[in-house]
Amino acid sequence: MRLLGRIFDWFDERYELTPLIEKNVTHKQVPRTLGWSACFGGLAFLTFLVQVFTGMLLLMYYKPHPSAAWDSVTFIKSNVPMGWLVQRIHTVGANTMIVLVFMHFARVAYYKIFRKPRELHWISGVVLMLITTIMAFTGYLLPWTQLSYWGAKVGTEIPGAVPWIGEGIRNWVRRGPAISGETLGFFFSLHIWILPAVAVAFMLMHFMMIRRTGISRPL
Amino acid sequence: MSETTHDPAPTHDRDGRRTFCKLCIGGLSVASAATVAYPVASFLGMPITVGANKPVAVPLSSLAPGQAHYAEFQGQQIVILSDEEGQRVFSASCPHLGCNVMWSPADALFHCPCHGAVFNSHGQVVSGPVSASLKKVPFEVKNGVIIVS
Repeated sequence: MRLLGRIFDWFDERYELTPLIEKNVTHKQVPRTLGWSACFGGLAFLTFLVQVFTGMLLLMYYKPHPSAAWDSVTFIKSNVPMGWLVQRIHTVGANTMIVLVFMHFARVAYYKIFRKPRELHWISGVVLMLITTIMAFTGYLLPWTQLSYWGAKVGTEIPGAVPWIGEGIRNWVRRGPAISGETLGFFFSLHIWILPAVAVAFMLMHFMMIRRTGISRPL
Repeated sequence: MSETTHDPAPTHDRDGRRTFCKLCIGGLSVASAATVAYPVASFLGMPITVGANKPVAVPLSSLAPGQAHYAEFQGQQIVILSDEEGQRVFSASCPHLGCNVMWSPADALFHCPCHGAVFNSHGQVVSGPVSASLKKVPFEVKNGVIIVS
Protein backbone atom coordinates (compact mmCIF):
# COMPACT_ATOMS: atom_id res chain seq x y z
CA MET A 1 0.00 0.00 0.00
CA ARG A 2 2.84 2.38 0.97
CA LEU A 3 4.65 1.46 -2.22
CA LEU A 4 1.53 2.02 -4.37
CA GLY A 5 1.07 5.39 -2.69
CA ARG A 6 4.66 6.37 -3.45
CA ILE A 7 4.32 5.31 -7.09
CA PHE A 8 1.13 7.37 -7.34
CA ASP A 9 2.86 10.36 -5.72
CA TRP A 10 5.69 10.15 -8.26
CA PHE A 11 3.21 10.50 -11.13
CA ASP A 12 1.07 13.00 -9.21
CA GLU A 13 4.07 15.30 -8.74
CA ARG A 14 4.72 15.35 -12.48
CA TYR A 15 1.24 15.24 -13.99
CA GLU A 16 -0.73 16.95 -11.18
CA LEU A 17 -3.34 14.21 -11.09
CA THR A 18 -4.91 15.07 -7.73
CA PRO A 19 -6.59 18.34 -8.87
CA LEU A 20 -7.86 16.53 -11.97
CA ILE A 21 -9.34 13.69 -9.90
CA GLU A 22 -10.84 16.12 -7.37
CA LYS A 23 -12.39 18.29 -10.07
CA ASN A 24 -13.87 15.41 -12.10
CA VAL A 25 -14.58 12.65 -9.59
CA THR A 26 -14.29 13.11 -5.86
CA HIS A 27 -15.36 16.76 -5.55
CA LYS A 28 -17.63 16.91 -8.61
CA GLN A 29 -20.95 18.56 -7.83
CA VAL A 30 -24.06 17.13 -9.46
CA PRO A 31 -27.59 18.44 -8.96
CA ARG A 32 -29.25 16.82 -5.94
CA THR A 33 -32.44 16.16 -7.93
CA LEU A 34 -30.62 14.07 -10.53
CA GLY A 35 -31.78 10.43 -10.33
CA TRP A 36 -30.27 7.12 -11.37
CA SER A 37 -31.81 7.52 -14.82
CA ALA A 38 -29.10 10.12 -15.53
CA CYS A 39 -26.62 7.20 -15.69
CA PHE A 40 -27.92 5.63 -18.91
CA GLY A 41 -25.66 7.66 -21.19
CA GLY A 42 -22.56 6.88 -19.13
CA LEU A 43 -23.53 3.19 -18.97
CA ALA A 44 -23.99 3.13 -22.75
CA PHE A 45 -20.45 4.52 -23.06
CA LEU A 46 -19.19 1.84 -20.65
CA THR A 47 -20.79 -0.91 -22.79
CA PHE A 48 -19.15 0.69 -25.84
CA LEU A 49 -15.75 0.33 -24.14
CA VAL A 50 -16.56 -3.31 -23.29
CA GLN A 51 -17.50 -3.91 -26.94
CA VAL A 52 -14.28 -2.33 -28.18
CA PHE A 53 -12.19 -4.45 -25.83
CA THR A 54 -13.94 -7.80 -26.43
CA GLY A 55 -14.00 -6.97 -30.16
CA MET A 56 -10.22 -6.56 -30.15
CA LEU A 57 -9.87 -9.97 -28.52
CA LEU A 58 -12.25 -11.65 -31.02
CA LEU A 59 -10.30 -10.07 -33.89
CA MET A 60 -7.32 -12.27 -32.96
CA TYR A 61 -9.14 -15.31 -34.37
CA TYR A 62 -12.00 -14.05 -36.57
CA LYS A 63 -11.59 -14.45 -40.35
CA PRO A 64 -13.85 -12.29 -42.57
CA HIS A 65 -14.24 -14.75 -45.43
CA PRO A 66 -17.38 -16.73 -46.37
CA SER A 67 -15.56 -20.08 -46.22
CA ALA A 68 -13.79 -19.31 -42.93
CA ALA A 69 -16.03 -16.96 -40.90
CA TRP A 70 -18.31 -19.57 -39.36
CA ASP A 71 -15.44 -21.96 -38.62
CA SER A 72 -13.41 -19.20 -36.99
CA VAL A 73 -16.31 -18.21 -34.71
CA THR A 74 -16.83 -21.88 -33.80
CA PHE A 75 -13.10 -22.12 -33.12
CA ILE A 76 -13.31 -19.12 -30.77
CA LYS A 77 -16.31 -20.63 -28.96
CA SER A 78 -14.93 -24.16 -28.55
CA ASN A 79 -11.11 -24.06 -28.76
CA VAL A 80 -9.95 -20.70 -27.42
CA PRO A 81 -9.77 -20.61 -23.61
CA MET A 82 -12.64 -18.41 -22.35
CA GLY A 83 -13.45 -17.69 -25.99
CA TRP A 84 -17.09 -18.64 -25.43
CA LEU A 85 -17.25 -16.01 -22.66
CA VAL A 86 -15.65 -13.22 -24.71
CA GLN A 87 -17.86 -14.02 -27.72
CA ARG A 88 -20.98 -14.11 -25.51
CA ILE A 89 -20.08 -10.82 -23.77
CA HIS A 90 -19.67 -9.20 -27.20
CA THR A 91 -23.10 -10.49 -28.33
CA VAL A 92 -24.95 -9.67 -25.11
CA GLY A 93 -23.05 -6.38 -24.83
CA ALA A 94 -24.39 -5.31 -28.23
CA ASN A 95 -27.97 -5.85 -27.09
CA THR A 96 -27.27 -4.17 -23.75
CA MET A 97 -25.74 -1.16 -25.49
CA ILE A 98 -28.81 -0.73 -27.71
CA VAL A 99 -31.15 -0.99 -24.70
CA LEU A 100 -29.10 1.59 -22.75
CA VAL A 101 -28.86 3.97 -25.70
CA PHE A 102 -32.63 3.84 -26.17
CA MET A 103 -33.28 4.33 -22.44
CA HIS A 104 -30.95 7.35 -22.51
CA PHE A 105 -32.78 8.60 -25.59
CA ALA A 106 -36.23 8.10 -23.97
CA ARG A 107 -35.18 9.97 -20.81
CA VAL A 108 -33.76 12.92 -22.74
CA ALA A 109 -36.93 13.07 -24.84
CA TYR A 110 -39.23 12.77 -21.82
CA TYR A 111 -37.54 15.54 -19.80
CA LYS A 112 -37.16 17.72 -22.93
CA ILE A 113 -33.42 18.05 -22.30
CA PHE A 114 -32.87 18.62 -26.04
CA ARG A 115 -34.04 22.25 -25.86
CA LYS A 116 -31.75 25.26 -26.25
CA PRO A 117 -28.77 25.34 -25.59
CA ARG A 118 -28.58 21.56 -25.98
CA GLU A 119 -29.83 21.03 -29.55
CA LEU A 120 -26.43 19.79 -30.74
CA HIS A 121 -26.26 17.25 -27.90
CA TRP A 122 -29.48 15.83 -29.30
CA ILE A 123 -28.31 15.84 -32.92
CA SER A 124 -24.95 14.21 -32.13
CA GLY A 125 -26.82 11.75 -29.91
CA VAL A 126 -29.20 10.75 -32.70
CA VAL A 127 -26.20 10.18 -34.99
CA LEU A 128 -24.59 8.02 -32.28
CA MET A 129 -27.83 6.05 -31.90
CA LEU A 130 -27.92 5.38 -35.66
CA ILE A 131 -24.25 4.32 -35.61
CA THR A 132 -24.98 1.97 -32.69
CA THR A 133 -27.82 0.26 -34.56
CA ILE A 134 -25.73 -0.03 -37.75
CA MET A 135 -22.83 -1.49 -35.75
CA ALA A 136 -25.22 -4.08 -34.30
CA PHE A 137 -26.62 -4.85 -37.76
CA THR A 138 -23.21 -5.22 -39.44
CA GLY A 139 -21.93 -7.32 -36.52
CA TYR A 140 -24.90 -9.64 -36.88
CA LEU A 141 -23.71 -10.81 -40.31
CA LEU A 142 -20.14 -11.59 -39.24
CA PRO A 143 -20.64 -15.13 -37.76
CA TRP A 144 -22.06 -16.06 -41.20
CA THR A 145 -24.85 -18.28 -39.84
CA GLN A 146 -28.26 -18.84 -41.41
CA LEU A 147 -29.67 -16.21 -39.03
CA SER A 148 -26.99 -13.69 -39.97
CA TYR A 149 -27.38 -14.33 -43.68
CA TRP A 150 -31.15 -13.89 -43.72
CA GLY A 151 -30.96 -11.00 -41.25
CA ALA A 152 -28.61 -9.18 -43.59
CA LYS A 153 -30.76 -10.09 -46.59
CA VAL A 154 -33.95 -8.70 -45.02
CA GLY A 155 -32.13 -5.67 -43.57
CA THR A 156 -30.55 -4.66 -46.86
CA GLU A 157 -33.89 -5.22 -48.62
CA ILE A 158 -35.40 -2.30 -46.64
CA PRO A 159 -33.64 0.56 -48.50
CA GLY A 160 -34.63 -1.31 -51.70
CA ALA A 161 -38.21 -0.13 -51.12
CA VAL A 162 -37.27 3.50 -51.83
CA PRO A 163 -38.72 4.47 -55.24
CA TRP A 164 -36.30 4.72 -58.18
CA ILE A 165 -33.02 4.83 -56.25
CA GLY A 166 -33.84 2.00 -53.80
CA GLU A 167 -32.34 -0.81 -55.82
CA GLY A 168 -29.16 1.17 -56.31
CA ILE A 169 -28.81 1.79 -52.57
CA ARG A 170 -29.53 -1.88 -51.83
CA ASN A 171 -26.89 -3.07 -54.29
CA TRP A 172 -24.41 -0.50 -53.01
CA VAL A 173 -24.89 -1.71 -49.42
CA ARG A 174 -24.60 -5.34 -50.53
CA ARG A 175 -21.60 -4.61 -52.79
CA GLY A 176 -23.49 -6.43 -55.53
CA PRO A 177 -26.97 -7.80 -56.24
CA ALA A 178 -26.78 -10.52 -53.55
CA ILE A 179 -25.32 -11.09 -50.08
CA SER A 180 -21.81 -12.37 -50.82
CA GLY A 181 -18.24 -12.41 -49.59
CA GLU A 182 -18.00 -8.75 -50.64
CA THR A 183 -20.94 -7.91 -48.35
CA LEU A 184 -19.15 -9.70 -45.52
CA GLY A 185 -15.94 -7.75 -46.14
CA PHE A 186 -17.81 -4.44 -46.34
CA PHE A 187 -19.79 -5.10 -43.17
CA PHE A 188 -16.61 -6.25 -41.42
CA SER A 189 -14.73 -3.05 -42.24
CA LEU A 190 -17.73 -0.95 -41.21
CA HIS A 191 -18.11 -2.92 -37.99
CA ILE A 192 -14.53 -2.91 -36.73
CA TRP A 193 -13.08 0.35 -38.04
CA ILE A 194 -15.23 2.84 -39.90
CA LEU A 195 -18.26 3.03 -37.59
CA PRO A 196 -16.31 2.91 -34.30
CA ALA A 197 -14.00 5.69 -35.56
CA VAL A 198 -16.95 7.87 -36.57
CA ALA A 199 -18.69 7.02 -33.28
CA VAL A 200 -15.63 8.13 -31.28
CA ALA A 201 -15.60 11.47 -33.12
CA PHE A 202 -19.27 12.07 -32.34
CA MET A 203 -18.77 10.91 -28.74
CA LEU A 204 -16.02 13.50 -28.24
CA MET A 205 -18.43 16.14 -29.60
CA HIS A 206 -21.26 14.83 -27.39
CA PHE A 207 -19.16 14.76 -24.19
CA MET A 208 -17.33 18.04 -24.76
CA MET A 209 -20.62 19.87 -25.27
CA ILE A 210 -22.00 18.38 -22.07
CA ARG A 211 -18.95 19.76 -20.22
CA ARG A 212 -19.66 23.14 -21.85
CA THR A 213 -23.34 23.42 -20.95
CA GLY A 214 -23.36 21.31 -17.80
CA ILE A 215 -25.88 18.62 -16.96
CA SER A 216 -29.50 19.66 -17.42
CA ARG A 217 -31.25 20.26 -14.08
CA PRO A 218 -34.67 18.66 -13.78
CA LEU A 219 -37.41 21.12 -12.78
CA MET B 1 -31.93 10.90 21.16
CA SER B 2 -29.25 10.83 23.76
CA GLU B 3 -26.50 13.41 23.75
CA THR B 4 -23.74 10.92 23.04
CA THR B 5 -25.03 10.21 19.51
CA HIS B 6 -24.30 13.83 18.56
CA ASP B 7 -20.78 13.71 19.85
CA PRO B 8 -18.17 12.91 17.30
CA ALA B 9 -16.88 9.40 17.78
CA PRO B 10 -13.41 9.08 19.31
CA THR B 11 -10.70 9.54 16.73
CA HIS B 12 -9.34 6.01 16.85
CA ASP B 13 -12.87 4.64 16.26
CA ARG B 14 -13.41 6.81 13.15
CA ASP B 15 -10.01 5.77 11.86
CA GLY B 16 -11.04 2.17 12.30
CA ARG B 17 -14.16 2.69 10.19
CA ARG B 18 -12.21 4.56 7.56
CA THR B 19 -9.67 1.74 7.31
CA PHE B 20 -12.49 -0.81 7.14
CA CYS B 21 -14.18 1.08 4.28
CA LYS B 22 -10.89 1.45 2.46
CA LEU B 23 -10.19 -2.27 2.84
CA CYS B 24 -13.68 -3.15 1.56
CA ILE B 25 -13.38 -0.86 -1.48
CA GLY B 26 -9.85 -2.07 -2.17
CA GLY B 27 -10.86 -5.71 -1.83
CA LEU B 28 -13.87 -5.31 -4.12
CA SER B 29 -11.73 -3.45 -6.66
CA VAL B 30 -9.12 -6.21 -6.66
CA ALA B 31 -11.86 -8.87 -6.97
CA SER B 32 -13.47 -7.00 -9.89
CA ALA B 33 -10.12 -6.55 -11.61
CA ALA B 34 -9.40 -10.26 -11.17
CA THR B 35 -12.75 -11.31 -12.71
CA VAL B 36 -11.81 -9.28 -15.79
CA ALA B 37 -8.11 -10.18 -15.85
CA TYR B 38 -8.59 -13.96 -15.50
CA PRO B 39 -10.73 -14.51 -18.65
CA VAL B 40 -8.62 -12.03 -20.64
CA ALA B 41 -5.37 -13.73 -19.60
CA SER B 42 -6.90 -17.14 -20.47
CA PHE B 43 -8.06 -15.84 -23.85
CA LEU B 44 -4.53 -14.72 -24.67
CA GLY B 45 -3.27 -18.24 -23.93
CA MET B 46 -2.84 -20.97 -26.52
CA PRO B 47 -6.02 -22.31 -28.14
CA ILE B 48 -6.72 -26.04 -28.11
CA THR B 49 -5.72 -27.34 -31.53
CA VAL B 50 -7.82 -30.36 -32.34
CA GLY B 51 -6.06 -33.25 -34.09
CA ALA B 52 -2.51 -31.88 -33.86
CA ASN B 53 -1.22 -35.32 -32.83
CA LYS B 54 -3.52 -37.28 -35.11
CA PRO B 55 -1.72 -39.92 -37.20
CA VAL B 56 -1.67 -39.34 -40.93
CA ALA B 57 -3.32 -42.13 -42.92
CA VAL B 58 -3.15 -42.12 -46.71
CA PRO B 59 -4.43 -45.08 -48.80
CA LEU B 60 -1.85 -46.30 -51.32
CA SER B 61 -4.51 -46.26 -54.02
CA SER B 62 -4.73 -42.47 -53.76
CA LEU B 63 -0.99 -42.05 -54.44
CA ALA B 64 -0.15 -41.68 -58.11
CA PRO B 65 3.30 -43.07 -58.97
CA GLY B 66 5.92 -40.34 -59.22
CA GLN B 67 3.67 -37.83 -57.44
CA ALA B 68 4.15 -36.39 -53.97
CA HIS B 69 1.44 -36.15 -51.36
CA TYR B 70 1.81 -33.44 -48.72
CA ALA B 71 0.24 -33.77 -45.27
CA GLU B 72 0.50 -32.13 -41.88
CA PHE B 73 1.92 -34.23 -39.06
CA GLN B 74 2.45 -32.79 -35.56
CA GLY B 75 2.32 -29.27 -36.94
CA GLN B 76 4.97 -30.00 -39.61
CA GLN B 77 4.62 -30.58 -43.32
CA ILE B 78 5.55 -34.10 -44.41
CA VAL B 79 5.76 -35.38 -47.94
CA ILE B 80 4.81 -38.93 -48.99
CA LEU B 81 6.41 -40.16 -52.18
CA SER B 82 5.39 -43.27 -54.05
CA ASP B 83 7.16 -44.71 -57.12
CA GLU B 84 8.33 -48.03 -58.54
CA GLU B 85 10.89 -48.33 -55.71
CA GLY B 86 8.20 -48.17 -53.05
CA GLN B 87 7.06 -45.53 -50.61
CA ARG B 88 9.10 -43.00 -48.68
CA VAL B 89 8.07 -40.31 -46.22
CA PHE B 90 10.20 -37.21 -45.56
CA SER B 91 9.90 -34.09 -43.52
CA ALA B 92 9.24 -31.34 -46.09
CA SER B 93 11.45 -28.96 -44.12
CA CYS B 94 14.71 -28.19 -45.95
CA PRO B 95 17.68 -28.99 -43.65
CA HIS B 96 19.27 -25.68 -44.74
CA LEU B 97 16.92 -23.05 -43.28
CA GLY B 98 13.60 -24.85 -42.94
CA CYS B 99 11.65 -23.83 -46.06
CA ASN B 100 9.26 -26.48 -47.40
CA VAL B 101 10.75 -28.30 -50.37
CA MET B 102 8.61 -28.74 -53.47
CA TRP B 103 8.46 -32.04 -55.39
CA SER B 104 8.85 -31.60 -59.11
CA PRO B 105 7.52 -34.67 -60.99
CA ALA B 106 9.08 -33.52 -64.29
CA ASP B 107 12.70 -34.11 -63.14
CA ALA B 108 11.81 -36.28 -60.10
CA LEU B 109 13.63 -33.95 -57.71
CA PHE B 110 12.81 -31.92 -54.62
CA HIS B 111 13.53 -28.21 -55.04
CA CYS B 112 13.82 -25.80 -52.15
CA PRO B 113 12.17 -22.49 -53.17
CA CYS B 114 14.30 -20.41 -50.78
CA HIS B 115 17.96 -21.03 -51.68
CA GLY B 116 17.77 -23.55 -54.49
CA ALA B 117 18.80 -26.75 -52.69
CA VAL B 118 17.96 -29.85 -54.73
CA PHE B 119 17.33 -33.38 -53.39
CA ASN B 120 16.66 -36.61 -55.26
CA SER B 121 13.71 -38.93 -54.71
CA HIS B 122 15.56 -40.60 -51.80
CA GLY B 123 16.05 -37.27 -50.08
CA GLN B 124 19.82 -37.15 -50.80
CA VAL B 125 21.46 -33.83 -51.67
CA VAL B 126 22.01 -33.20 -55.37
CA SER B 127 23.12 -29.59 -55.15
CA GLY B 128 22.68 -26.39 -53.21
CA PRO B 129 23.85 -24.82 -49.95
CA VAL B 130 23.13 -27.88 -47.84
CA SER B 131 24.98 -31.01 -46.72
CA ALA B 132 22.31 -33.03 -44.89
CA SER B 133 19.63 -35.03 -46.68
CA LEU B 134 15.90 -34.64 -46.07
CA LYS B 135 14.85 -36.08 -42.73
CA LYS B 136 13.18 -39.48 -43.08
CA VAL B 137 9.92 -39.97 -41.22
CA PRO B 138 9.13 -43.51 -39.99
CA PHE B 139 5.89 -45.00 -41.34
CA GLU B 140 4.15 -48.31 -41.75
CA VAL B 141 1.89 -49.80 -44.39
CA LYS B 142 -1.19 -51.59 -43.06
CA ASN B 143 -3.92 -52.98 -45.33
CA GLY B 144 -2.84 -50.77 -48.18
CA VAL B 145 -2.79 -47.59 -46.09
CA ILE B 146 0.34 -45.57 -45.24
CA ILE B 147 0.22 -44.61 -41.58
CA VAL B 148 2.56 -42.05 -40.03
CA SER B 149 2.20 -41.96 -36.25
